[in-house]
Amino acid sequence: MTGAVVWLERTSTGVAGASREAVGVARSIAGGGPVVGLLVGAGGPSAAERIPVDRLLLVDAPGLADASSAQLAALLAAAAAASGADSMVLAGTARGRDVVGRLAVRWGAAAATNVTDLVAGGSGELHVTRPVFGGRASETLELPGPRRILAPRPHAFAEPPPASAAPPSEALVLPDGFSALPGRGMEGFEPTVGSKGPELGEASIVVSGGRGLRTPESFHLVEELAESLGAAVGASRAVTDAGWRPSSYQVGQTGRAVSPQLYIAVGISGAIQHIVGMVSSRVIVAINSDAQAPIFKVADYGIVGDLFPILPALTAEIRRQRGLTGSAPG
Amino acid sequence: MEIAVLVKPVPDAETRLRPDPAGKGLDPEGVKWVLAGYDESAVEQALLLKESAPGTTVRAISYGPAVRADEVLRAAIALGCDRATSVEAPAGVADDPLVTAAALHLALSRFPASLVLCGKQTGDHESGLVGPAVAELLAVPEYGVAVNVRLDAGGAEMTLQQSVEGGLLRLRAKLPALVALQQAWNDPRTAKLPNILKSRKAPIDRVPAADVAAAVAARLPLATRRLAFRLPPPRTGAKMIEYKTPEEAAQKLVRILREKAKVFP
Ligand SMILES: Cc1cc2nc3c(=O)[nH]c(=O)nc-3n(C[C@H](O)[C@H](O)[C@H](O)COP(=O)(O)OP(=O)(O)OC[C@H]3O[C@@H](n4cnc5c(N)ncnc54)[C@H](O)[C@@H]3O)c2cc1C
Ligand SMILES: Nc1ncnc2c1ncn2[C@@H]1O[C@H](COP(=O)(O)O)[C@@H](O)[C@H]1O
Repeated sequence: MTGAVVWLERTSTGVAGASREAVGVARSIAGGGPVVGLLVGAGGPSAAERIPVDRLLLVDAPGLADASSAQLAALLAAAAAASGADSMVLAGTARGRDVVGRLAVRWGAAAATNVTDLVAGGSGELHVTRPVFGGRASETLELPGPRRILAPRPHAFAEPPPASAAPPSEALVLPDGFSALPGRGMEGFEPTVGSKGPELGEASIVVSGGRGLRTPESFHLVEELAESLGAAVGASRAVTDAGWRPSSYQVGQTGRAVSPQLYIAVGISGAIQHIVGMVSSRVIVAINSDAQAPIFKVADYGIVGDLFPILPALTAEIRRQRGLTGSAPG
Repeated sequence: MEIAVLVKPVPDAETRLRPDPAGKGLDPEGVKWVLAGYDESAVEQALLLKESAPGTTVRAISYGPAVRADEVLRAAIALGCDRATSVEAPAGVADDPLVTAAALHLALSRFPASLVLCGKQTGDHESGLVGPAVAELLAVPEYGVAVNVRLDAGGAEMTLQQSVEGGLLRLRAKLPALVALQQAWNDPRTAKLPNILKSRKAPIDRVPAADVAAAVAARLPLATRRLAFRLPPPRTGAKMIEYKTPEEAAQKLVRILREKAKVFP
């Protein structure tokens, strides 16, 4: 294995944290070869970002800030050709995984997504571990060479420390036929009403509420706790079925699967259909008045008690520790 | 117009997972095979489109050991799909999403569709690779994490919504295309008993294993090989926080998150 290309996905605040983690993964499979970052869209990263890659390839053409996965796959294949890399790493975000599927076909590579651990052997073999069945099991896969693409699961690998200086950068020459590829065709954006926090599937902390909240009006206790932690808000199906919150909040078998660093379940009993959607979270905290609630079987830490006095106390304590003011910002 | 929905047989959520004797895969003994969760959303979306555009035919396509594929295809027919294609997995072939995509591509070349719907990812292997790989093989654009699709211009175009950070993107796209569904807004319908009974006798088109073997041959050297399949050590149960007042509970929890679990932001 020599050399790896990483797609540096942009967010409104700079290069995505998950892409920085991907840089660390690329380093561990690059076999001592160069790690090359591909940045698509206007301008390079600001000096403050100091992404620890050896070289940056930049593509800045009109409309590419919002490139389609077919366009990104073509650009990544061109970046690999330009750098001679035989591995690629893309953050396991929704967009990243779409690109991996196309790229594996186009570039003729073995691919694995949702990777949480890996072993790169001395003679070029690559074994990866990934959770399956919503974290209820895991599998170890061997990826044959010579070409491989990995999408690490967000938060599974540590972010490498920033480089001491900005890496050298140059423009990537657009591959032949690029202009014929369809773009993403974006027409408009409708922000989710009342959603200020991070996206449920990609948040590093999720606070979810269940029927224990009793009324739609008291669900704001969960939202305030989430806000104090900078967390995304989730819900059990009891809550979304009752229409207290939209179904996009639902965590579980028929909702979203999440695997944050910290999952806090409030007034949720822990039905199997809920558990399969959150059990692979790193640390699970449950707050429930029933000491026998099944959620405590999968939780790491539990508070048995009435959520109504506990949630405001917890939110206040977190705000105090984080130096936030008492009133909700913005 | 023709709509294809890709549906994967996955173990029912209540299945007690057990590794097979070699420790390399799930023991299939006694497993009930059902439609993957997001595939239910894809089927529901296909049926809504059919209801909105008369003359539309929905074909469910499933790849896998024939008994499993047939099981979920009959479920799809019972829900309202018009036709079904069972793509028979050759014995012993690698279980790899890119191999699956090559097999499904063969089926789509025999039963073409201008709109292909699939799930965002399956509840078992959760790769999320099959849809985009099929789209690349078909040389059509793919639209992931969609929650809602509407056909316009007599089926030549569509408007769709994608669920992204902080909201919904509205996109306009031309067909042919592939759309991967996330959880639909409408709860997927359930099949009525007479339709379930009728689906038992519905004809199923077949793509034979020998044809599949030839179509995936080029991809096999790149297929991932499963070395191990494990269950995590059982969780030992929560460490309960002792407290006298809500404030004490809050302080203790925050201290644990900060010092022991190291997850305090
Ligand atoms: C096919 C199928 C798919 C499903 N998919 C999903 C899914 O994706 N996601 C999902 O979540 N569910 C799903 N369900 C539903 C699931 O089975 C449960 O019914 C649901 O998760 C229960 O939600 P809950 O825990 O909020 O409510 P309950 O089970 O009613 O639990 C409420 C909890 O709140 C506690 N409580 C009450 N008052 C207080 C208080 N004052 N303080 C603290 N605690 C309190 C109670 O002790 C109880 O444990 C599915 C079900 C089926 C059949
Ligand atoms: N064996 C299969 N047969 C039919 N469709 C499949 C199969 N495997 C995956 N798919 C489709 O591809 C989607 C994504 O699957 P995956 O890439 O395995 O997460 C699924 O939701 C299905 O729509």
